[in-house]
Amino acid sequence: MARLQLPVLRPLRRVLARLGGAVFVLWAVASVTFFAVRLIPGDPAQAVLGGPGSQASAEALASVNAEYGFDQPVIVQYFAQLGRLATGDLGRSYSLNLNVGPLVLSQLGGTLLLAVLALALAWLLALALATWSTQSGRIASRVGSALEIVAAALPHFWLATSLIVVFSIWLGVLPPISTGGALGLVLPVLTLAIPLAGFLGQIMRESLLRALESPFVLSARARGESERGVRWIHALRHASLPAISLSGWAFGSLISGAVVVETIFARPGLGRTLLNAVTLRDVPVVIGVVMIVAVAYILMTLLTDAVSRLVDPRLRLS
Amino acid sequence: MPLRHPWRTRRLLATTTGIVALGLLMAGCTPADSNEPVGEPKTGGTLTYASGDAEPTCLDPHVGGNFPQALVSAQYLESLVSRDSDGQIIPWLAESWLPSDDGLTWDFTLRSDVTFTDGTVFDAVAVQANIAHLQDPATLSSTGYLALGKVTGTEAVSPTVVRFTLSEPDSALLESLSQTWLAMESPTALERSQDENCASPVGTGPFLVDSWVKQNAITLLRNDDYTSPPADAAHTGPAYLDKVIWRFIPDSASRYAALQSGEVDVIDNAQPDTIVQAKQSDSIEQLDSPRPGASNRIELNSGQAPFNDVRVREAFIRSANVDDAVSSLFQGTATRSYSALSSAESTAVSNPALFDYDPAAAVTLLDAAGWGETDADGYRVKDGVRLSVEFPVSTNQSIPAEQSVFEQIQATAKETGFEVKLAPMDLSSWYAALASNDYDAVSAPYTKVGPDVLRILYHSASIVPAPSGYFANLAQVNDPAIDELLTTAARTTDATERASLYADAQNRILEGFYILPLYDQQNHYLLRSDVVGLRTLPTVAVPTLYDTWLNR
Amino acid sequence: MSDLEVQAELAAQAAQPDRSGKSGRPRRFGVAETGAAVLALFLLASAVVPQLLAPGDPLAIDPLSAFQPPSGAHGFGTDESGRDIYTRVVHGTQYSLVIGAAATAIGLGLGIVLGTLAGMLGRVVDFTVNRFLEVLFAFPGLLLALLFIVIFGPGVATATIAVGLSTAPGYARIIRAQLISVRSAAFVEAATVLGRTRWQILLRHILPNTLAPLFVLATLGIGQAIVWAATLSYLGLGAEPPTAEWGAMLSAGRTYITSAWWMSFFPGLFIVVTAVTATVLGRSIDRRMRHA
Repeated sequence: MARLQLPVLRPLRRVLARLGGAVFVLWAVASVTFFAVRLIPGDPAQAVLGGPGSQASAEALASVNAEYGFDQPVIVQYFAQLGRLATGDLGRSYSLNLNVGPLVLSQLGGTLLLAVLALALAWLLALALATWSTQSGRIASRVGSALEIVAAALPHFWLATSLIVVFSIWLGVLPPISTGGALGLVLPVLTLAIPLAGFLGQIMRESLLRALESPFVLSARARGESERGVRWIHALRHASLPAISLSGWAFGSLISGAVVVETIFARPGLGRTLLNAVTLRDVPVVIGVVMIVAVAYILMTLLTDAVSRLVDPRLRLS
Repeated sequence: MPLRHPWRTRRLLATTTGIVALGLLMAGCTPADSNEPVGEPKTGGTLTYASGDAEPTCLDPHVGGNFPQALVSAQYLESLVSRDSDGQIIPWLAESWLPSDDGLTWDFTLRSDVTFTDGTVFDAVAVQANIAHLQDPATLSSTGYLALGKVTGTEAVSPTVVRFTLSEPDSALLESLSQTWLAMESPTALERSQDENCASPVGTGPFLVDSWVKQNAITLLRNDDYTSPPADAAHTGPAYLDKVIWRFIPDSASRYAALQSGEVDVIDNAQPDTIVQAKQSDSIEQLDSPRPGASNRIELNSGQAPFNDVRVREAFIRSANVDDAVSSLFQGTATRSYSALSSAESTAVSNPALFDYDPAAAVTLLDAAGWGETDADGYRVKDGVRLSVEFPVSTNQSIPAEQSVFEQIQATAKETGFEVKLAPMDLSSWYAALASNDYDAVSAPYTKVGPDVLRILYHSASIVPAPSGYFANLAQVNDPAIDELLTTAARTTDATERASLYADAQNRILEGFYILPLYDQQNHYLLRSDVVGLRTLPTVAVPTLYDTWLNR
Repeated sequence: MSDLEVQAELAAQAAQPDRSGKSGRPRRFGVAETGAAVLALFLLASAVVPQLLAPGDPLAIDPLSAFQPPSGAHGFGTDESGRDIYTRVVHGTQYSLVIGAAATAIGLGLGIVLGTLAGMLGRVVDFTVNRFLEVLFAFPGLLLALLFIVIFGPGVATATIAVGLSTAPGYARIIRAQLISVRSAAFVEAATVLGRTRWQILLRHILPNTLAPLFVLATLGIGQAIVWAATLSYLGLGAEPPTAEWGAMLSAGRTYITSAWWMSFFPGLFIVVTAVTATVLGRSIDRRMRHA
């Protein structure tokens, strides 16, 4: 293929390549999930009929097998599934009497809200800790660093139950489950945000320190800008770069965390849906959730990439 | 019906006749006692109920038919008959009934003043439509379908009289019809697609289904035109509550914490430690209502070695220290059972002497059965084979306290030389293990109103698996005498004779050491103290919010 | 990016010379490092000779002393069957460390194979392996492990393999990057000029130079693997009761959280302590190696 030299076309090429890559990843994710869930022991027809204890009659099993195409060869079912996916049809849940598309979309909101709030709070906590510990001397720096390492090592399930014990049972100030109100979001968001803040804080503090000693900060100081201005405008902008590139990863790990957090706090969402669907052998729902998460992950990667370019002009040139 | 709900469960109680009576008394009185001095009922308010059971996939209990469905649908659906706390069948949507002398036809006289919440009139034709719906293979009913096994047809004799025709006499017919899984739904609504009917079934109950946001909550609204409370209800007319929010909180600690903080008003599947805490709390009350049908018991697979030898079965039972396990883990919230049936069944027979913890006797029995040698790890061996007991445990059906009971049995049986291999697994894997006969011991709850549950669990016909691979006779009891007793009892409508046949059958089962009873199927509810008038239906022990009001 | 890459990135960053402009030589032993070393010794001793630290039987039941809060007789309290939690936590160390180490070995092993293939065998293989890794990264880590366990059944072995598998892509990508950077180093070019074959170069020159960073990576990875394995046990998919595994203990304790907080607090504490120790040690080793 002839090299596209025009500068205008270069981003276009990049976008096309990204798009192709994304479609490939989605196809592969759907295929891997399809065959993996097929390997799960258990009869999907029974999943449709309410599980293996249902004492379903032979006629009922046969009619379900025919209706859902379970009596077809696996490869036929695979292409049928792909065909449906290509037209945006995620199929029908075996266990919930619902179409997967609307179901997954209805659960997406809750998880996204949780993830976005957690990400934002983690950023705030990390920023606060990083700025405090870099301007308050050696001891503060050590304490900050220790806090970050410990926070990053906290398992979600332990943190969640500990928070419930302290804030709901002992102090009685925050609801232990999500009730729709804003208060109910506090504990789940904290559970997801604290470990993440540990990771983000570490990376921010180091780059903040480095930035504070870099030539451009020196020159800003020399120009007579206030220390606060230097810190907030120049140094932080620089320091946030590596943390922004971490946010794509952070999003993925928030989704994993959502499985645990949504179960403990009884929140509707993708994580809880996924865990239920896996144990109930609900193939279409598993594929649906995985596809949505994959799409979100790809979008998030593109977004962090774009934000990095926005914040750091150097990247735009490379 | 086999209980198959992700997340859940419980058990309990005792069974000498005296304790049965006491248990019923307590079950009936606990809420009434605590609620007596509160004055006139207040109308209005919203009650939030948090269930630890799985969210149903269909709100119509005709479809499938499991306990989570019964829990919620008892608020908007009603049955032809009910059962009072003495075990007597009482009128509900049917005012009276009359079997023919040969027991092959039953005439039910229906109430004439009842309409479904969609305006459809409740009459004989409606009953016919419901029976047809339950028996239609397309409905995919299992619990209701099985319960109507002897019903061959229905006939509308008049608008208010419906006649059931049976293939043979069925002494369990009224008990079957009392169950929520056979409740009456609007025939107009049943004509909709199954999806629509699953999302918003229409009944005659004190509430109606307003909306259902899956994986979140079901909203129920008061039925202002309600006219049909069962004979044992505390008031007449519409319910007191305006609205009920029915939530699903699978995590037991979160559920209790939500009750403590007042986020929810009632929870089910309460864990023993939280029940103990509630007893010490002024703001939380307890409602204990053992489920009917079978007790919670460990079934020993008599179909294969080592438990095909009655001496080995008895040795296992003698070597298991159940009493200490139950008292430490349930902390007084569950009473040891020595019966195959729940203490809620008046026909239950209890025989504590058969289940004494007696390791010395166990050793003698094992020696006699040829398991005299011991290997390096302290386990008994015979012909080079270790005395192992494969014990698959459904983590969905056995609550943590029960799983701990199994661990303690494992530890005490080890002292006698049994190697109990506990294998916790999810429901699908658990059923698969049972279907492939990969078990020596198993605990499987079974809820059904009346002693006919014995036929389902211990008749040799129940060893034959359904097409799904499921079979109910997990102890694989294959005794022609027991079969004969159970079949005859199912045809015998005379109450005394029937009870005596079931007593004989139970004695044979207990004396054959096929099962190790633990306690009743635990069914504890916790509620805020300002929730007044909550009771459970004495049929399937699900709560009814009809008489409930909020004293706040 | 994977959890592991983030860990490695943070370690590398922390290992960079001090901003103070001093020599950049590592401090002798900081408080953190000393603490981590002591804790590591304690954990190792717990894993190798648990009887020395906790002479009791971790499985011995005593129904009459169930649910005892921490006291002189039971430092960490007792669980629902009257088992001593301190004894169980100490004896559980070997499960967690073995699971963590085995999962790391599996992840690292697979990572080395994939990373080496991608880093050494030219563009086509590199492209293929990279796409493959990209697909794996699109699954949230927990889901990959979940799927694996549901297919092959729960248990310690499957949980360990599941954690190993889900960490493999992270290792692979780091190793690939490492190989590519070493490959272009001067001494490799020199070897090429001297006419060594590709595999000779790989074995004699490149691998030895990537081993040290791998060791650091593995130390950091063990901490992560232990947390993951505990999460799986917590979800009821790992170790089976009454095994004294930390995640399984935590899962059992969750039920009684409102009345017996110690049942879940102490196993959780040990998980956190182990993970922090692994992080601090991994970084310390990293720093020393870079400045050696």
